[in-house]
Amino acid sequence: MKILILLIIFISNFVLARDLGQTEITTDEGIEVFQNEKYYLLKKNVSILSDDFELKADLVKAYFDKDLYDIINIESEGSVFLKSSKGIIAKGQKVNFSTKEESILILGKKSSLVFNDIFMFSENFIFVNNLTGKFKLEGKGSELKTNDIQISGSLIDGNYITANKINEVEMIYVEDSNQANIKTNKINMFAIKANYSKKENIIELFDNVKIIRDNEIITGDYANIDTLNESYKVTTNKSKKVKVLINKIDE
Amino acid sequence: MQLNKKLLLTFIVLVTLLIILILYIQKNQIQKNTSSINGVSVDSSYDIIKPKFTINNENEKILITANEGNFVNNDQILLKNNVLFKSDKFKIFSKEVIFNKKKQTAKSDKNSIFRAKGTEIKSEGFDIIDQGNIIQFNGKTSLTLSK
Repeated sequence: MKILILLIIFISNFVLARDLGQTEITTDEGIEVFQNEKYYLLKKNVSILSDDFELKADLVKAYFDKDLYDIINIESEGSVFLKSSKGIIAKGQKVNFSTKEESILILGKKSSLVFNDIFMFSENFIFVNNLTGKFKLEGKGSELKTNDIQISGSLIDGNYITANKINEVEMIYVEDSNQANIKTNKINMFAIKANYSKKENIIELFDNVKIIRDNEIITGDYANIDTLNESYKVTTNKSKKVKVLINKIDE
Repeated sequence: MQLNKKLLLTFIVLVTLLIILILYIQKNQIQKNTSSINGVSVDSSYDIIKPKFTINNENEKILITANEGNFVNNDQILLKNNVLFKSDKFKIFSKEVIFNKKKQTAKSDKNSIFRAKGTEIKSEGFDIIDQGNIIQFNGKTSLTLSK
């Protein structure tokens, strides 16, 4: 019985196998080819499988370049799932991407993008360009997580670098009219705006600053944190004072 | 005289039955000879052998050929057997297609194959509209692209 099942799987795999370099697209309700406008309209339960990526969506507009086989841009909507050979997993209501520019735009609620060790979540907008390493998240509660740092705010703008197949966040700007949040393994930071530089090992916090480390809470208007030794300097406007709260822990 | 009346009645009944039988056979024959495509009934004995038509637009000329053709009405022709749409860019193969020479459109609900450079589309039918600019492949459809 097991042999029979294995044989069926082998035969079905052989029959359905896609050749290397081929892109296989299937739909439930047809394909429209717009020759002048140079795009395919793929309708209902769309599945695209290629060497570089796998995509599932309800409706897809696939733009081609000079020839019909040369897909350069894809606009997809309706429970979109995208997985690339480079380690990107994107989910959202709308996912647009360019195969030439290696850029991805995810729109709508519960948008998410995982790129190896970088996790991005938004209820509105995620943009990533893999060639330049630039990314942008917009919308309340947007969130970016790596192994070292966790950032949330209504706007997160930055870039990453890839070395030895590992992605590392290099620069980040985050803002939130309520309070943006940056969290490392040891420090929890809040501010209206913040800058993070991995290269310079610095986090700068601006306005409504609050730093929580162990049992101490420090508030002020500006903070400069050295992420290497986790030391920080907090300043305030002339009219205000830096406030330090130390919670006593009973031993 | 009475016998003659009986004979005459039998003869009339037989003739009537014969006429009914002939009419029934003729009707069946007509039904057998008609086929239906896209809801249009057409006499299958063909009107045109090796029909040829073209669809012209700004960018290309699509040549349409088939083994047989039937006039459905003044504008529509049912093309049958080895129906081929051929342009510089692509070919479409199908068994049966209704071509509208006035509107320059085509429609098929039979399995069709589209082939172009590095491109193959298999579908359960197709529509050619907008003078060939838009081709709609219907039903469950697969598209294979090879670079």
